[in-house]
Amino acid sequence: MSRVAIVGTGHSRFGRRTDVNVGELAFESVKQAIDETGVGRKDIRNVFVGSAGGWYEEPLPAVVVGEYAGLSGAGTMRVEAACASGSAALKAAYNSIVSGDGEVAMAVGVEKMTEVDTPTSVELIGRAGSYMWEFENYGMTFPAYYALYAVAHMNRFGTTEEDMSRVAVKAHHYGSMNPLAQFQKEITVEKALGSQVVAWPLKLYDACPLTDGSAAVVLASEGVAKELTDTPVWIRGVGYSSDTANLSRRSDYVGLSATVEAAKRAYSMAKVTPQDIDVATAHDCFTIAELMAYEDLGFCKKGEGAKMIRDGETELGGRIPVNLDGGLKAKGHPIGATGISMAVEITKQLRGEAGRRQAPTRNGIGLVHNVGGTGHYAYVTVLSRN
Amino acid sequence: MPEPPTLKSRRTLTLRFDIPVSKTKEFWDSLGEGRFVTTKCSKCGKVSFPPQADCPDCLGGAFEWVDLGREATLVTFTHVRVPPASFTQTDPYTIAIGELSRGVKVLAWLEGVRGEEPRPGMKLRVEVRRSAEGRPYYVFVQA
Repeated sequence: MSRVAIVGTGHSRFGRRTDVNVGELAFESVKQAIDETGVGRKDIRNVFVGSAGGWYEEPLPAVVVGEYAGLSGAGTMRVEAACASGSAALKAAYNSIVSGDGEVAMAVGVEKMTEVDTPTSVELIGRAGSYMWEFENYGMTFPAYYALYAVAHMNRFGTTEEDMSRVAVKAHHYGSMNPLAQFQKEITVEKALGSQVVAWPLKLYDACPLTDGSAAVVLASEGVAKELTDTPVWIRGVGYSSDTANLSRRSDYVGLSATVEAAKRAYSMAKVTPQDIDVATAHDCFTIAELMAYEDLGFCKKGEGAKMIRDGETELGGRIPVNLDGGLKAKGHPIGATGISMAVEITKQLRGEAGRRQAPTRNGIGLVHNVGGTGHYAYVTVLSRN
Repeated sequence: MPEPPTLKSRRTLTLRFDIPVSKTKEFWDSLGEGRFVTTKCSKCGKVSFPPQADCPDCLGGAFEWVDLGREATLVTFTHVRVPPASFTQTDPYTIAIGELSRGVKVLAWLEGVRGEEPRPGMKLRVEVRRSAEGRPYYVFVQA
């Protein structure tokens, strides 16, 4: 199979971005990615735009983003896999090159979540599952979905609220070193534990914020990648999977089976094991989600996620550093942009460009884990210097 | 720092869905009479909840309604404190997943519990409530 590499990256400042509309916000990343690559826009055959949408005024972001950046004419589509829309767009771009449909493609992720009021945003995300059976009469919220998992995990494995707070503290620690992060301040376990309950046992500091942001990557075929850059980062494996719309149809609530299956597929395609991963981004929309991700990705055994955070194994200097960009918790979570943002972070880590947040990358292998909804979708992407 | 200027668009859009329920009408009718039923595939025997006319296992289209009774066991729960826009006028609520007979799990409100009082494994009972519009819906209470 032909090889495909990430050859250029772009990343906007994340946060409440009332200074830009969706096209302008995406442009910040698109321009960086094009400038970094030096690729001509006419050479970008297809552009895949990951965006969940619904909270900003434009229903067709792919063409709005394309027009603003002078990319009209490229093959394009909006790609939706809820909070994994970015990874889905990356996969679509990857597929386009593998299938021979052009040598260069772009994947853009963008979301503007703060143009509507917060209760409306909460409502739109809460409806994402089975509207009829789990929202209409019961008012599910996104924190509530993950809180159901948190309670089950606590009950089964003895995971505590303090363990979850440690994940938030870690996220804010690295967020404080990321100038593009929404939150760049350190917090303490006490502060996290004392924050407002949103869906018990999850509190404000267990939850990612509502975020505006964008990220973009340029992908190229092997031949073209080597012309464009000396530091291509290869997409070695992509696995994706799904689970039921209704949470009531899941067999248990202590892990995401879509992540387990996506990881299995990605490791198999990349011919790597979890032990080979130098650095990772894991989908920490809520702190409990990161602990479950450690387990579901095979970084530790089922039920030992809390031990990993207690022992500092996912810190810089630990066995496998996770979310050195601040994660969704501190960097922010602009739904459709998140998967691309993660790919940008791991690309920079593998190129040795992460500055104070740089992890040692002995094997030259990194992993991106991006979940859509409550494990409704999961994408795992393995990136490599080689 | 002052907020950047925005165009405060006031062209509002109301989304009100008419959701087809013809294939699951029996569920809501039975619920109104106090019975909690769901679909069982006539071909392979698969019991589905939420009820669905077409079997997700064998794709068969013939089914019968089976009564799941009212007893359940608490699997997991959460107390919602920040509700979505359309529930802001509702009292704080607890959402639970309970397991009924035949291994069927159901998500619904759990009424009458507080704090860490609910314990997975706790015995629950399904009860029927009516919305302001008179439509039946189901909740859990402690048995």
